[in-house]
Amino acid sequence: MKSIWIIAKNTYREIIRDRIIYALIVFAIVMVGGALALGQLSFTEQARISANFGMAAIHLSSVIIAVFVGSTLVAKEIDKQTILSILSKPLSRTQFLMGKSFGLILIIASLILGLSLILVFVFWGLGVPITSSFLVAILGILIESLILMGLALMFSSFSSSFMVVSLTIGVFLIGHWVENLNFLSKKSSSVIFILFAKASVYGFPNLERFNWRDSILYGESVPIDEVLLTTTYGLGWWLAFLVITSLIFRNKNFA
Amino acid sequence: MNLVEVQDLKKSFKRHFWSEKKTVLKGINFNIPSGVITGFLGANGAGKTTTMKCLLNLIFQDSGNIIYFGKSEFSSEVKKKIGFLPEHPYFYSYLTGKEFLLFYGELSRTLSKKALIDRTESLLKRVDLYHAKDIALRNYSKGMLQKIGFAQALIHEPDLLILDEPMSGLDPDGRHYLSELIKESAREGHSVFLSSHLLHDTELLCENLVILKDGTVFYEGSTKDILNTLSTQYKISYLEENFQKIIFEKDQLQMQSRLKELVAKNCIIEKVEKDRVTLEEYFVKNVLEKRKNEVHLDHR
Repeated sequence: MKSIWIIAKNTYREIIRDRIIYALIVFAIVMVGGALALGQLSFTEQARISANFGMAAIHLSSVIIAVFVGSTLVAKEIDKQTILSILSKPLSRTQFLMGKSFGLILIIASLILGLSLILVFVFWGLGVPITSSFLVAILGILIESLILMGLALMFSSFSSSFMVVSLTIGVFLIGHWVENLNFLSKKSSSVIFILFAKASVYGFPNLERFNWRDSILYGESVPIDEVLLTTTYGLGWWLAFLVITSLIFRNKNFA
Repeated sequence: MNLVEVQDLKKSFKRHFWSEKKTVLKGINFNIPSGVITGFLGANGAGKTTTMKCLLNLIFQDSGNIIYFGKSEFSSEVKKKIGFLPEHPYFYSYLTGKEFLLFYGELSRTLSKKALIDRTESLLKRVDLYHAKDIALRNYSKGMLQKIGFAQALIHEPDLLILDEPMSGLDPDGRHYLSELIKESAREGHSVFLSSHLLHDTELLCENLVILKDGTVFYEGSTKDILNTLSTQYKISYLEENFQKIIFEKDQLQMQSRLKELVAKNCIIEKVEKDRVTLEEYFVKNVLEKRKNEVHLDHR
């Protein structure tokens, strides 16, 4: 466990010291701050537009980090051969992989936390009440990022960075359309389309399940059992990707 | 006593899924003895790096066994006893020298926090990088990276140091400095297994040699022995009518009769020495030339 923590701490430090992350953080802060300005455009829907735009900014920033940093997280170690000296130390390949994952999770969580705090101030300024659905929406974003990160990590264990990003974005899009596909397949008579839709439902994570952002807009609270069930569903996907990556990684030759 | 025993190690690679397998190691056997510096030589593609990576479980062998400290499993306990410096010292460029050693030391889990801090400080001084301890590794020169890499391999006080081409790309000064560090570590009790293309340095450093040729062990034994078996010539330096001359005799008998002859001719014998064959000469003649001939034969 200690080895995982040491790797996670170093991964956190690695990402923090990468200048690209600052560009993304500035972009995210501008987006979240922009929510306030955008709200000014409407007299009646000011709070709703600001909340919508702010949550979208947090969602987008965390997804970008999960996909782009996740795709290079281990691939960079292999390309630069830093992995050779690390794996000669007393830690297993799975521990290394988990350490890298937890390091990135810490980064995503810190980013989401930071941006959420800014959004809280924006909401406070606009008089939008902070309810439990706000926290639930944030949790949804975190779990979705976790799944995408796990996916990017899995693809990076056997593919190039460009392919990893393309494949992960592909799964991200399918993951958000799975419900629509399922709905359309029920109306369709095409066997091929029905099979494709069924395969998508079972073969891809339904990322729309984590979209609790609308509940803030409508002032609804999300039932606790739904939160727990969906969280377990999300963590299950993340764990499955981590196990597959670990199995590939354990048998990999670093020639 | 042997720290590592390599038994019938075989490894082949496929470049692509559809390409044929290329055998790199054809069943090699050798030992890494305790308390000495063992040089690991071979031409490019002979299988040195593959062997080293097999030793560290970075590559999995097709068959064969590796016994580490009497055990067949490459466990965490075994890893704690091994320090490794890879061929290209690519380390985390965003870390400073001190952070880098602390990070690797923490991962090694052999020292307490206080002992690790002390060890880091002393190693930074030893490799002459104390002045650069707070500078990010991205600003280090190749020589500095090689030195910090060496310190990293030593951080947890391992029994065995595995160094892959530790002196490649260094200037003579850097090579000399690193050689001294390796010697010093050996004197302290660390056994060393190092691969190198720099035969002169290897000859001066290593008491023991393992030479690979085309995926098989061509020679395993002491450096002295291999050079002595080839050093049959005697070199006689003498003065004849104030002119300095040198002649070579093939064996001891011929050398003695030549000496008698020279003394009879009133020549002044200045020096008689066994002509020394360097490791480089041996390597070129026995490993590279034979290989070249075989390649020519293959092409015919």
